Order: sequence, then C-alpha cells, then structure tokens
Amino acid sequence: MLVRYLRLLWIQLRASALLAAQYRSDFFIDGVIAIFWATTALIPLLVVFRDRQHLAGWTFGEALLVSGWFVLLNGVLDGAINPGLQAVVDHIRKGTLDFILLKPADAQFLVSVSRFEVWRVTTLALAGGILGYAFHQIGHGPSFFGLASAALLLAAATVLLYSLWILTVSAAFYVVKVDNLTYLFSSIFDAARWPSSVFRGALRFVFTFVVPLALMTTYPAEALLGKLEGTTLVYSVLGAAAFAFFARRVWLRSIGRYTSASS
Amino acid sequence: MISVKGLKKHYRVSKRPPGLKAALTALFRRSYTEVKAVDGITFDIAPGERVGFLGPNGAGKTTTLKVLAGLLHPSSGEVQVDGHVPKRREDAFLKKIMLVMGQKQQLLWDLPPSETFELNRAIYEVPRAQFKETISELTKLLELAELLGKPTRQLSLGERMKCELAAALVHRPKVLFLDEPTIGLDVSMQTVMRDFIRRYNERYGATLILTSHYMDDVAALCPRVVVIDKGQLSYDGGLDDLVRRVRPEKRVVFHLSKAVDRADLEPLGQVVSLAPAKAVLQVAQDRVAATVSRALSSLPVKDLTVENPPLEEVMSELFARSRAAREEGQADGESEEGGGEGDWE
Amino acid sequence: MSVRGTLRAAPTLLRVGFAEAIAYRAEMFVWVLSTTMPFVMLALWTSVARDQPVLAPGGARFGSADFIAYFLVTFVVRQLTASWAAWEMNYEVRTGTLATKLLRPLNPIVGYAAENLSALPMRFTVIVPVVVAAGFVTGAAPFPVDPVLWLAFCAAVVGGWLLTFLANIAIGCLALFIQSSIKVMDVYLVLFFVFSGYLFPIQLFPPWLRGVVDWLPFRYQIGLPVELAVSMHDRAAAFSLLAREGVLVVALAVLVAVLWKRGLRRFQAYGG
Repeated sequence: MLVRYLRLLWIQLRASALLAAQYRSDFFIDGVIAIFWATTALIPLLVVFRDRQHLAGWTFGEALLVSGWFVLLNGVLDGAINPGLQAVVDHIRKGTLDFILLKPADAQFLVSVSRFEVWRVTTLALAGGILGYAFHQIGHGPSFFGLASAALLLAAATVLLYSLWILTVSAAFYVVKVDNLTYLFSSIFDAARWPSSVFRGALRFVFTFVVPLALMTTYPAEALLGKLEGTTLVYSVLGAAAFAFFARRVWLRSIGRYTSASS
Repeated sequence: MISVKGLKKHYRVSKRPPGLKAALTALFRRSYTEVKAVDGITFDIAPGERVGFLGPNGAGKTTTLKVLAGLLHPSSGEVQVDGHVPKRREDAFLKKIMLVMGQKQQLLWDLPPSETFELNRAIYEVPRAQFKETISELTKLLELAELLGKPTRQLSLGERMKCELAAALVHRPKVLFLDEPTIGLDVSMQTVMRDFIRRYNERYGATLILTSHYMDDVAALCPRVVVIDKGQLSYDGGLDDLVRRVRPEKRVVFHLSKAVDRADLEPLGQVVSLAPAKAVLQVAQDRVAATVSRALSSLPVKDLTVENPPLEEVMSELFARSRAAREEGQADGESEEGGGEGDWE
Repeated sequence: MSVRGTLRAAPTLLRVGFAEAIAYRAEMFVWVLSTTMPFVMLALWTSVARDQPVLAPGGARFGSADFIAYFLVTFVVRQLTASWAAWEMNYEVRTGTLATKLLRPLNPIVGYAAENLSALPMRFTVIVPVVVAAGFVTGAAPFPVDPVLWLAFCAAVVGGWLLTFLANIAIGCLALFIQSSIKVMDVYLVLFFVFSGYLFPIQLFPPWLRGVVDWLPFRYQIGLPVELAVSMHDRAAAFSLLAREGVLVVALAVLVAVLWKRGLRRFQAYGG
C-alpha cells in the first residue's frame, strides 16, 4: 500500500520535472518572482529596525530568522502545495475531476501530488541564505536540539499548510468561480513574515488558533533560538494533527456532496 | 453483470432567473426546483453485451452512466455492477470499470500520452508485462505509434480521442462506459473508433454501454438499445424492433426512366420525395410486395430498393412523439410522474 | 460601433453586469477576503509604531494613527480600482470566447470596462461598513478637509482605476500574441503589490528606489489616491503628481490601442 503510493508520488514528480524542462522560461520567471517577493519583503523590516533595536521583543537578527523561515515555508507552499490546489480548481472548472474519482486510489492523494513546481527549489536556497545571515547577525548558531525541534515544527507546519489547503479546496466545491481561492490563501499567509508577538488582540488570536501562522514561522524561529517551551512544541504537533484530521473529514464530506456539472 | 432496479436521481437546483429584479430577489429568497434527472429505471445487462442508451439531450443518459460508474449517488433504487455497489467506489470495482467521456479528457495536456499511460499503469497496478502487451496491441490497432511521443496539446481532436481511449483501456476494464465517444470526430475517425470498440468487446468479452448522438454509432455497435426519456425508460430491446415499432412503414425507392406525375404515385403510398428520375414512397410493411408489383406494371421503373427509414429520422420522430404526449399531459393538468412509461407505445 | 451606439448600449451592459455581480456574490466575497491584506498591514504597522513612530528615510514620521488612516483608505481604493480583465481576456482567448465577442458590434474592451464598473455597487456594500467603522474607531473620517484635495483624491481614484484597467487590458492583449500572458500578469502583480504602496507607504522606501517608483505606474494605482486622502501632500504637490498620473494614463492608453490593433490582426490571421 505505502509502496504503491510512494511509486505514484515518484511518477508524478517525474512528470512535473518533465514539464519543468518543457516550460523552462515560465518556471524560471516563477523562481525570479519568488526571489523578488522574498527580498522586497525585507525592506519594511530594514526600515523598522533603522531607528530601534527591538520590535515586540525581537532583535533584527531574530526577526530576520522569522522572515527567513517564512521564505522557506513559502517555497514549500508554492512548490508543492499551491500547484495541486490549482490543479483541483482546474479539474472542477473543466469537469474532469470525475476521472480522478474513478481511479482506484485515494482521490485526495491523487490531486495533492498531481503537480509540483520543481523550480521553487531556488527559493529554498534563498531561505538558507537569509537564515544564515540572520544567525550571523545574532552571533551564534542554533543548538542541535533547537534544529531538531525546528525540523519537527517544519513538518507540522507543512501538515498545517496542507490541511488549510485542503479546506480551501473543499470550498471550491461550493463556489463556482474559484480563481481567487489561490490568492486568498497566499494573501493571508503573508502575515507570517512577522513574529506573531507583533500582533495584538483579535488578530493574535486568529493567527494563533484559526490560521495558526505563529506555529508556522514564529515557533520554529523560537526553537532555533532555543526559546521555545517544550509544551508549545507538543501542542503544536498535536494541533497540526488535529487540523489534518479535521481537513480530511471536510474533504470527504465535500467529495460526497460533489455532483458533477452535467447531468 | 449490471443490474439496475428502480433507479432514481433527483437534484435540487436553485433557480437563477434572468433579470435584475429577479437577481436581487434571489439574494434574499432562493427558490429551488427539483430536477428528476433519472426517475425510476430498471434494466439488466448480461456480461459481454453491447447496449446503447438513446434519448434526447437532458434525458438522463449521462446521469445513469455516472451512477453506474459510482460518480453520483442514486437518490433511491438499487444498482449493482459485477457484484459491486458502485457508490462505495471500492478499488476492486474501480479497477474493473472505465468511463470515457468524449467531451472531457484525462490525458495530461502538456505531456505525451505515454506519460498518462504510465501513470494509469501505476494507479491501476497493472503488471509490467501485461501493460507492455496492452500498449503494443493498442498501438497497432489504433495506429498510435507516431502519437505516443508528442505532447497531447499538439494532437488533433481525433488523435487525442484515440489516445484517450487507449489510456482508458490500460487496465483492461471489464465494463466500459462510453459517453459520446465520437463527438466532434469526422466520419472516417468515427468508423475507426467504432471498429476498435467492437473489437475490444469481442476480444475481452467486456460489457459495454454507449451513449451517442450519432445513431450510426449505436446501429453499428449495439444490438440492444435502451431508450431513456425524461428520466424514464421508454424502450428496451433490439434496435430493429424499435425501428419497426416507431415506423412500421418501409421506404420504396424507385429509379425511373422518365418523369411521372405525383398523381400516378399517390394511389401506391405516401410520397416522401419526387424528382424527375427518382421517387420515394412510404408504405406499410405488409403492403410492400403489393406496391412493388403494382408499380412495376404501371410505372417506368428502371430499378428499385426497399429501405428502412433513416435512423436519425426514426429517433427524432420518437422523441417528438414523447414530447407531444408529455405536453398533452401537462395541458390536461396531469402530472406525468410515474405515468410516462411507454406512453407512446 | 459608434460612440453613440456604445453609450446607448451602456445602461444594458451595466445592468447585466450588475446582475452577474449579484449572481457571483460568493466569489466576490472570497475576493474581498483576499484583499484584506491592508488590515493585516494595519495591525502590523500600528503595533510597530506603538512605542515610537516609524522614521521614514525621507524624514517623515508615521505614527499609529497615520497607519490606521493609510491602510483603511488603501483597502477602499483597492476595492474601487481592482480589475480582472487580464485573466478574463486570457480565458477568453484560450476558450475562443473572444472570437465570438469580436463578431458583436461592440468593442470587447468596452464590455470588460462595463463588467468591471457594474460590480462597483456590490463592492460598495463592503466599502461603506468599513469606512463607517473606521470613522468610529479613529474618531474622524480619514478623508481630506480641503475640498480641492477632495477633488484631487477623486480624480486620483479615477486615474488609478484607468491605470489598473488599462494595464490589465494591455497584458490581456499580450495573450493575443503569446497564447497565455498569465505569467506576465503574475510578474505585474508582484511589482504592483510591492511598489504601489499597498503593503506599506512608498515613503518607507530608500531614496534611490523612490526615484524609480515615482515613474512607475504602480504607486498611482493605490498610493497616490491614498496619500491624497490622508492629506500627505499640499495642493501644489498634489497637482504635479496628478499630472504625472495623467501622463501615465495617456501613455498606457496609447500602448493599449497599439497592442489591441496589432494583436487582433494577428489573432484573426492565426485564429488564436
């Protein structure tokens, strides 16, 4: 069972790589956009820290760590998660989701792995650069335990992003014109560039529990700095698992409700 | 193989009438109408049969196919396909069936069809050896050799449809649902598709259900037809029988050596068309022999043939009749629920 | 179609467009949600400025109140000036709908404009509550007191809409040459987000970038109307900026005219 799904994943990755080779210029442009987006986003950070040492308890280097982690996750999102979302949206619009549902394999799996943007790997390199520079600013590297828990949080954040993505896709079954869904997702995600402690009141609640941006970038940065509490780590992982479970239920419901456009 | 008992599929759709005022009203109060896409259908299909679904647009053919394929859940009724309940969509079931839709495609648009085949091989877990055999067979029969390496987007519609069909058969389905498989194709390509589909059915004993607007598809492929109209089954049997029943008349075509008067023909039967050298008469079946002998003695006949009326005509007459019957029913203020079955028979 | 004919058709076009906007209200809601970035930015920048105002490279200072006004107006201006024509054109080129539209005695560009404008009433249902709520929260409407600046603001919004719409059409026209210009639109959109003042006032850019940004169309789509609304400029500065906006509008209009004409010729020759 697992072997079979791994093989399917491999075939899809291969197809995506073939595609990337075919549309080199398109994918190259995507890569450039991502890098441009990531770097210009650092401008406000530079401006803010021009005349102060701390922002909501974060130094420049530490805040940069959050931004770097954001770029990293953004690469994951744009490279592996968003293309699949776009694929489902296209399927629903063209009415070809039926073909997916007819296949003797899990439909959620099939749509999730149906597209990858291989070129987004460049963003990961950029993220590495920003993180490296951030640690240079801070003056010391992360501890082993910090790295390990950050890696764990990266996994949890990916699961979370993916679950949010499934929830968004489920909305695509109810709304007809769905082009905007992808934009909705990335525009909300953009707030994760900043340490979550910058936000106050309602937004802080939203970004911690409803759309847990804090878990995605702030906690990993704290983990790398060795500031993250163990309980937060445990809750994060549990929360991600719960989110994933919930998303799966919603997906199954939506599929059950789905009736194709023509009768 | 396939058994359907009292299948119903009803939808609730919100009405969106045109116009500004209506649109504003719809904001606050939505009205729904119940669409009875399929309204009580029963039939059985034996293994290896080739069955054609006929019916006007929106009659419920595609809905029935989708229910059989497990894509739609029936509102009520029992459906079984080779011992499976389709709506459970078990892997074992899905591996036995395939749905080909002429208007939609599963091929990966930017990659060569061979990639889609490969993907389907993995999804359907087809053993490598069998896969190779199937592909080489399909390549030969459908003449795909030159197409397999080209990106799908560069193929013509006909080429794409051939590859589409091949992709659907990678796992050698035992039950094949074909929804308008030849739509938009030219006549020679339609023939290629038809021949291939029949050959597949004969070679693997696959059961086949086909819907098509082209009567020739149905005539060439399906010994048995099921007529669905307004969600109800109005005929189930041989195509010849159906034609005989809708149009009990035959057509006699006379090739004449010189022009004749319409008045000379009218006593013989109903005149369908009359050109200087050719006349077509419509005659009741049991009177064909008598008409022919009378014509031979009284008219300058060079040659003659006896034909069935064209299928397309038979069908449009069939649907027109059922529509007329329905409108009559509505004019009387009667609901046509449940009473529509065989109302033209 | 003549100008008069187009004008005669306009009420019907707008009415149909409005009915369509109502029919697609769920989609519009999703879109509005995706434009809530100014609120996130508002929260972010006000908390940044909570302890001490942010010092812009040009010397200006932005306090919490300044940011609140700025981003509320940003949200409103975005609602007023947004356009999707580039995506629509791409879609219609791909599906061949554009070919049928060309058969009608109405320039498709007019059709796109009508569709866009007729969605405005629906968008107002979002704008009005936001403006009212903003008034309550900040204690004053974030709009200029000087009537001349008021007019300048209105002119800047119209100009911003024209710029956005024309840029969309120009990129849409590219689809006539290269099949799909969605990628170009993606590039445009990223530049727009960064350089329009949508994410932060362009006054926060380093001076060397400011020079470039002032001559790009982006800051006139969002930034200029917003700056005028929060009285960041005096009359003289406002007029010179408006003049620049006008120049950009004319330049884009000429570009669109050329692209459209050439694109159509190509489109009709190759059948898309």
